Amino acid sequence: MLTKKPPALQSFLSLVSRRASHLARQRYDVIVVGGGHAGTEAAAAAARVGAKTLMVSQKIQTIGALSCNPSLGGVGKGQLVKEVDALDGLCGRAGDYAGIHFSILNRSKGPAVWGPRAQLDRQRYREFIQSELLSTPGLTVLEGSVEELLVSDPNPEESGQHRVTGIRLANEVHPISAASVVLTTGTFLSGSLFMGQTESPGGRIGDAPSSPGLSQTLRETLGLRVGRLRTGTPPRIVKESVDFSLAKIHPPDSHPTPFSFLNTRTHCKSEEQLPCYLTYTTPGVERVVRESLHLNCHIQQDTKGPRYCPSIESRVLRFPGRQHQVWLEPEGVTSDLLYPQGLSMTMPPDVQLRLIREIPALHRAEIHTPGYGVQYDFVCPTQLSPALQVKSTQGLFLAGQINGTTGYEEAAAQGLWAGVNAARLALSMPTVALSRTESYIGVLIDDLVSRGVTEPYRMFTSRAEYRTSLRPDNADLRLTLKGFEEVGCVSSSRYQEAVRVRDRLQDALTALQALALSTRNWRKRLPDVGMSEAKNTMLTGMEVLQYNDVSFETLASAFPEILSPHVEFSQRLKIEAVYRPHCHLQKKEIERIQKEENMSLPQDIDYFSLSVSLSQEVREILDKVRPTTLGAATRLQGITPAAIVHLFNYVRHTGQKGKRALRHKNNQMEARRAELSAKNAS
Amino acid sequence: MKCLECQNHTIMLRSVFWRAAVHNLRPRRTPACRLVSTCGGVPVALADAESIFALSSGHGRCGVAVVRASGPASATALRCMTGLRCNLPPPRKALLRSITDPRSKEVLDRGLVLWFPAPHSFTGEDSVEFHIHGGPAVITAVLHALGSVPGMRPAEAGEFTRRAFQAGKLGLTEVEGLGDLIHAETEAQRRQALRQMSGELGRLYRDWTHKVKRCLAHVEAFIDFSEDELIEDGVLDKVDKWVRDLQAEMERHLQDERRGERLRSGVQVVIAGATNAGKSSLLNTLCQRPAAIVSPIAGTTRDVVETALDIGGFPVLLSDTAGLRESLDLVEREGVRRARQRVEQADLTLVVVDCTHLPSDAKQIATFLQGHLSSVLPAQEQPETVFPEDRFLLVLNKTDLLPEGKRLKLDSELSSVSGLPPVCQISCNTNEGLEDFLAALHNSVKTLCGNPLSCAPTLTQARHRAHLQQCFAALAQYQRYRDIDLALAAEGVRLALVSLGRITGRVGAEEILDIIFKDFCIGK
Repeated sequence: MLTKKPPALQSFLSLVSRRASHLARQRYDVIVVGGGHAGTEAAAAAARVGAKTLMVSQKIQTIGALSCNPSLGGVGKGQLVKEVDALDGLCGRAGDYAGIHFSILNRSKGPAVWGPRAQLDRQRYREFIQSELLSTPGLTVLEGSVEELLVSDPNPEESGQHRVTGIRLANEVHPISAASVVLTTGTFLSGSLFMGQTESPGGRIGDAPSSPGLSQTLRETLGLRVGRLRTGTPPRIVKESVDFSLAKIHPPDSHPTPFSFLNTRTHCKSEEQLPCYLTYTTPGVERVVRESLHLNCHIQQDTKGPRYCPSIESRVLRFPGRQHQVWLEPEGVTSDLLYPQGLSMTMPPDVQLRLIREIPALHRAEIHTPGYGVQYDFVCPTQLSPALQVKSTQGLFLAGQINGTTGYEEAAAQGLWAGVNAARLALSMPTVALSRTESYIGVLIDDLVSRGVTEPYRMFTSRAEYRTSLRPDNADLRLTLKGFEEVGCVSSSRYQEAVRVRDRLQDALTALQALALSTRNWRKRLPDVGMSEAKNTMLTGMEVLQYNDVSFETLASAFPEILSPHVEFSQRLKIEAVYRPHCHLQKKEIERIQKEENMSLPQDIDYFSLSVSLSQEVREILDKVRPTTLGAATRLQGITPAAIVHLFNYVRHTGQKGKRALRHKNNQMEARRAELSAKNAS
Repeated sequence: MKCLECQNHTIMLRSVFWRAAVHNLRPRRTPACRLVSTCGGVPVALADAESIFALSSGHGRCGVAVVRASGPASATALRCMTGLRCNLPPPRKALLRSITDPRSKEVLDRGLVLWFPAPHSFTGEDSVEFHIHGGPAVITAVLHALGSVPGMRPAEAGEFTRRAFQAGKLGLTEVEGLGDLIHAETEAQRRQALRQMSGELGRLYRDWTHKVKRCLAHVEAFIDFSEDELIEDGVLDKVDKWVRDLQAEMERHLQDERRGERLRSGVQVVIAGATNAGKSSLLNTLCQRPAAIVSPIAGTTRDVVETALDIGGFPVLLSDTAGLRESLDLVEREGVRRARQRVEQADLTLVVVDCTHLPSDAKQIATFLQGHLSSVLPAQEQPETVFPEDRFLLVLNKTDLLPEGKRLKLDSELSSVSGLPPVCQISCNTNEGLEDFLAALHNSVKTLCGNPLSCAPTLTQARHRAHLQQCFAALAQYQRYRDIDLALAAEGVRLALVSLGRITGRVGAEEILDIIFKDFCIGK
């Protein structure tokens, strides 16, 4: 797949530049608004599920653009990339194609927290994403700006107060209709750009701001609660103006590890990889920040920015008198620019230049594009279901920064999941949810929809309770099989491969279990291994593989006839052997949680009139949050065990009755409406 | 007769049939706990599912107490506490055995044991019942012994019933009442825990939680941020030391046979109300001696006066508290704070009202009393508009000072009022109405004692101990994996925090992230 050449951009453009008026007569299953990480994954996933999909982006050229840092993955984020890939998403393979510096972070800290990461070539990344979208059957891409969402009365059979039926483009008369719409507008929703004392509307420098109509529809017509967040990006620096002799070189891994389960190697050869450079701030940097505070309106506002990706201003103000790291990262193989990670700033351009020149390696650096800040609206994600559908609005899905997250990987993960569900809804299949016990994507979505955000949300491994089970190495076993069998977003060739891997791993584990020898015999076969067991007990190969100094290769060379067929999976087997006893401990708890996750609470329960013994306080919490499953309800603060039992009982006994009651309620509402209109008429 | 195959287990009836049943027909059970060798060669116990135990009989004067265990480790518990080495007794037949501590082999009691194999038990799981003598020392000893069986832990509130419910063992009507039952049990346990947590022990547990939280925050920071960010060198060395110190502290605590504070057992009854309502007089009347100083001066009682009583055979710990009022006097203010704290922890509160202060308009009496109750109630219970009936008793004191006509009116008015806890009228001066009051008090105490959790601090203590032991073991996992696999080491600290959190309250991921961002300069 890596060898595939992306098509010339020209033919791509001609294909999508069909006039919107042609499209207007068509009806799509899914429309995806936005072409960033969330939008591209959403569109591709919806098409994979089998929906006729339209992706609308303001500018064709920026589809798949890396707006900020030229890198993918990392600790926690790398797990998300692996999971998106396991569900047949794009970003893992795009990373393998565009990567120019691969490394596995946390290599010394245990495979559960390894963080696969790569520096990317911006150009190549975009090319790969665009060519993938182009070759995805059932997907049409259209350049245009969305003016508004079409909103109509809800389908009375389902819960919700509104229904979205399509979009209307700017400068177009005819609307385009669809069963589901996925919004992935990133920072463009009422976005403002800040640099020094100037403020201008927009979501990214160089791009037109999105229409205010969209934001208005969400807030006023649909009545969604929105909040405001901010982020920023550093200036881009001209490479040849940097004095690298004053920075510390940071080489990539000598053997690049691909993200995708489909790839055994990366596009970039090991020796072609580019290094990064590490340098530090000086007291001069702090001085410039302090002197220019009055010229910096972004930093003076109290909108919430990310604590873990702060601007240089907030770093030196919060932790003064310290050296802060600045990474100089390549932007691509042919690019003349460098990305100074850690130097996101919003002061006027002349001050930015003064600031960076306070860093020794940048003492004569030139700025190509200055840094700037962005403030944007996000929709409070507690208004979403675990399928990322807006609870109050049928057919509307949200993914990416619009939900209050930050980061490419978080956006891609949500995009994929929203795309899957938008397609399933359009094709009259039930929506699906991922549990936090089976994936980081599940953790991400559950955190968003059940707890909401107060600052841009980023993934960390510490957010996952079952971290030792949710490892980067086993994402395929966790998700690919399910993705094909239950979700429908995985191709059959990928599925076949995952089945093969699962069976081969199982064979190998069985062989290891069956290999039982006494300690004395093990010592004879593996003289170099220090067996601590004093007694002459029986040990299986599985148990011996748990020893720190035993690799699968060691075992395979001692028992070539039994184990050598399995060396393909050496690393995975070693990891499995070490983690299995611990994951076994978690299994029971995971099963219990999954049982609760499977019990869904109807979305239209009136918690205040529910004839179940619940305290007023509990009723208020349930009404406010409206958890979708019993599992989600148990995790809410202030919900008592007694309340859970009552709810459990209610769900079990009213599962059938509930549907009937809903129809009854809708009939009543209908009657009331008719009554009112009759009154009005008279 | 003795079992022919193992020679140490009594077969009650139809021996041949039972032998067949016990030795051949029953599938061999996999032991609940097996040893798994890990890379360090240190065995780790793996429990397939958690087994639980609890005292399931009530308190008070009782000859026999029933301790129940449920889950896969029940069989192990039965074997190792009754000396039934290889075989289990016939299902659902009482068997008289000596009950021993599995560690010390000390005989704790001689009592009946019953074995209920799954699915024919209350919970649908393997279960055991121990019918033992009702003294607190025996009960405590048996509970401690059960706690030392691998895979066994004290049950959380309502857990037995919940398991029964989940196994589909409860009928519809039983299920209806289940929520209330669990509510009562959690409430009782919460109050019990509050009582223990307000003391020295609580301070210690909270301190440990804080320390484990900090350890976890540092380990997590090292995992999630150290590659890209400025995390000082030696973060883990600090954690190593903290974990070592914590373990040493916990070990000392767990081995300390004095077990910290003396536990006050019995139903906790608190007398509360406005100043000069006659609270101390009520205490003195109840214990039939002048235990507290009474005077016509408002604010005479400033500290909590505590007396142990026996009411109708049930142990009661009665506390008289300072009258609730705003005061500028520092000592009195502290007294009022303690009074409020006691009310919060009480199983039963006697709210004393001076009936000469009741409004003359009979219609307003109910509103007045409701307002009065709200001022006594702990603040967080205010949203509940209904007063939990079994936790409050309104005592209208000084009826001897009311003219006859007013008293009759009061009677008729009170009988028509709803939304109030039971009301008694009494005069501590003339002892009028005392009998009715005692009957009402006896009734409330009896209800409370029917709940095994309400007056057994040893149970809460046993639960805390089990969680501490888990915490201690989990910290050892950190040390074992520190240099092998940091993710697994961190898992140890996480488990330690979860165990402590069962005592002091759950700690979420967000709280750990907050500590990380406070302690480290993180930003890429």
